[in-house]
Amino acid sequence: MTEDISATPSPRASSPKVPAAKFGGRGINIGIAVAAVVTVAGLALWVVQLSGGLVQTGMRNFDSWGLYITLFMFLVGLSAGGLIISSVPRAFGMKGFGGISKVAVWTSICCTVLAIAFVVVDLGHPARLWELFAYSNLGSPLMWDIVVLGTYLVLSIAYLWATLRFEGGKGSERSLRAISVVALACAILVHSVTAWIFGLQQSHEMWYTALLAPWFVSSALVCGTSLVLVVVIALRRAGYLELDQASIVKLAKMLGAFVLVDLYFFACDLLTAGFPNASGAEVVAMLTAGPLAPFFWTEVVGCILCAVVCFVPRLRTSPLIVVASLLAIVGIFCKRVQLLVGGFQIPNIDMAGPLTPYTVTGWESGMAGAYQGMVYFPTPLEFGVALGVVGLGALLLLAGLKFLPLKPAE
Amino acid sequence: MVKERLGMTIDTKRCIACNSCAVACKIENNLPNFNWWNRVMTVGGNHMDAPSGMYPNLEMYNITLACQHCENPACVKVCPVGATYKDEETGVVRQDYDKCIGCRMCMAACPYTGVRSFNWEEPRYHLEFSVGDSDVPGHQKHVVEKCTMCWHRLAKGLAPACVEACSARARHFGDLNDPDSDVSRLIRERGYQQLLPERGTEPSVYYLV
Repeated sequence: MTEDISATPSPRASSPKVPAAKFGGRGINIGIAVAAVVTVAGLALWVVQLSGGLVQTGMRNFDSWGLYITLFMFLVGLSAGGLIISSVPRAFGMKGFGGISKVAVWTSICCTVLAIAFVVVDLGHPARLWELFAYSNLGSPLMWDIVVLGTYLVLSIAYLWATLRFEGGKGSERSLRAISVVALACAILVHSVTAWIFGLQQSHEMWYTALLAPWFVSSALVCGTSLVLVVVIALRRAGYLELDQASIVKLAKMLGAFVLVDLYFFACDLLTAGFPNASGAEVVAMLTAGPLAPFFWTEVVGCILCAVVCFVPRLRTSPLIVVASLLAIVGIFCKRVQLLVGGFQIPNIDMAGPLTPYTVTGWESGMAGAYQGMVYFPTPLEFGVALGVVGLGALLLLAGLKFLPLKPAE
Repeated sequence: MVKERLGMTIDTKRCIACNSCAVACKIENNLPNFNWWNRVMTVGGNHMDAPSGMYPNLEMYNITLACQHCENPACVKVCPVGATYKDEETGVVRQDYDKCIGCRMCMAACPYTGVRSFNWEEPRYHLEFSVGDSDVPGHQKHVVEKCTMCWHRLAKGLAPACVEACSARARHFGDLNDPDSDVSRLIRERGYQQLLPERGTEPSVYYLV
């Protein structure tokens, strides 16, 4: 993970003309310290996981991915919002959102680093990562994702750097606009490709749908916009930046629209899966009334409530917008859980056979027992490693706020 | 020369679910604890060797389940580093332990639940010495492995261990592209089923019914 950290721009790289960041005080220092401690603890747990083996996680042969890949999907989604919100107005020459674009891009960069980190902690042999570049199988959707995610990270950093340069009086608006267009295209691609890791697999009924890629884009817009809203409202409260309520309202309305599109896609998918009353009906039953029902209903109810707050003018107060944004973020996380665990929840071959501790979690109670509840649930170690990775993200975010000139230019 | 497509036929009418093939595989390949490349599955009730239905109308038969060595393998397409690949000469789907980065994408892509297994920890063995053929590559922690169609035996002109060990002579092995092979003849003469043909993987294992 060290290379990810070094990929962030050096705090001293910015032009001296850019207003220097003066933000902090004790609060942010304590935050940075806590995040650093959590990151180090996570690293230690990762070492435990690698030395003792992935057997310490809840993943098994029948459910070969878990919390890490769920969070990978989730964070790729979260990373979208910031970049899209800051690059869309620039790319199309529209009025922006009052100077929040640098902070928004910074959240994007942090989330992208986290997404990559979650893939790394999921690997059995992270030391063999170099093979991805030496023996690339360019036909693999996973390889596409690695290429696109890497490009996306570099572009986001380049975009932030170009914005800073532009504000410092250097660089042309045209070049900045060009970067923003490319970054925007890359953002759309990054979500589509992440979806294709799942959506191109004919092996899992639930995953194999053409809708998955656009749906990932819409989910990314939902949780990305929500994250930006939460961050900018918090930063406004902390006095880091000033933002008129009109911009917040504009963002909230956008969030409402995104949430509705996402729910619409979900409805389309459920109807298409369930209507023939064939094998897809099993997927619908699993989601609505089966082991994944709590995640399904949390998502649906949370997203509806979020849309209500976003669309009813009287409810669009800052605290409620934050609540609505958090509901949407939780909702999209639930969506990711449904997708990942749901894919493994219905085995293609469910005949009785020999089970071992490597076959499936809960193997002691047979196939029926293993699939009674959720076939996969994370172990404490997985939560610990995941928390460590999130700590790394918090560290990056706070360090960026403290040291990088991300404040809106006056 | 016409390329080979090595495959197997497994006669479900002859199989007595003795598990000899599974054990032969385990010993031949010195498989670590908890790891089975070939498993005998019960088609019937909810438990192993349990029939479905109500007495006296019971039904039960068995299939043995291992890598299907598909003509159109889903696993090969998704492996980011080409650690799992199809041998062009024989059609056998192979796995390179030294290359595998342990991402488990192939396990998610394979429709045949559980034929790929991951070494979730440092391989452990019940015996203090290795068993089986010394040409079998050593097992590694945190890599995916599966049936190799006894690649080390094919190199010596031998049939896979499971075929050799089948006490009911239910298993046959050969070149599906050769019309005169045992497997081609059996497929022609007998009714057969393939597992999950609707997934389009074109498996090279045929279950005679």
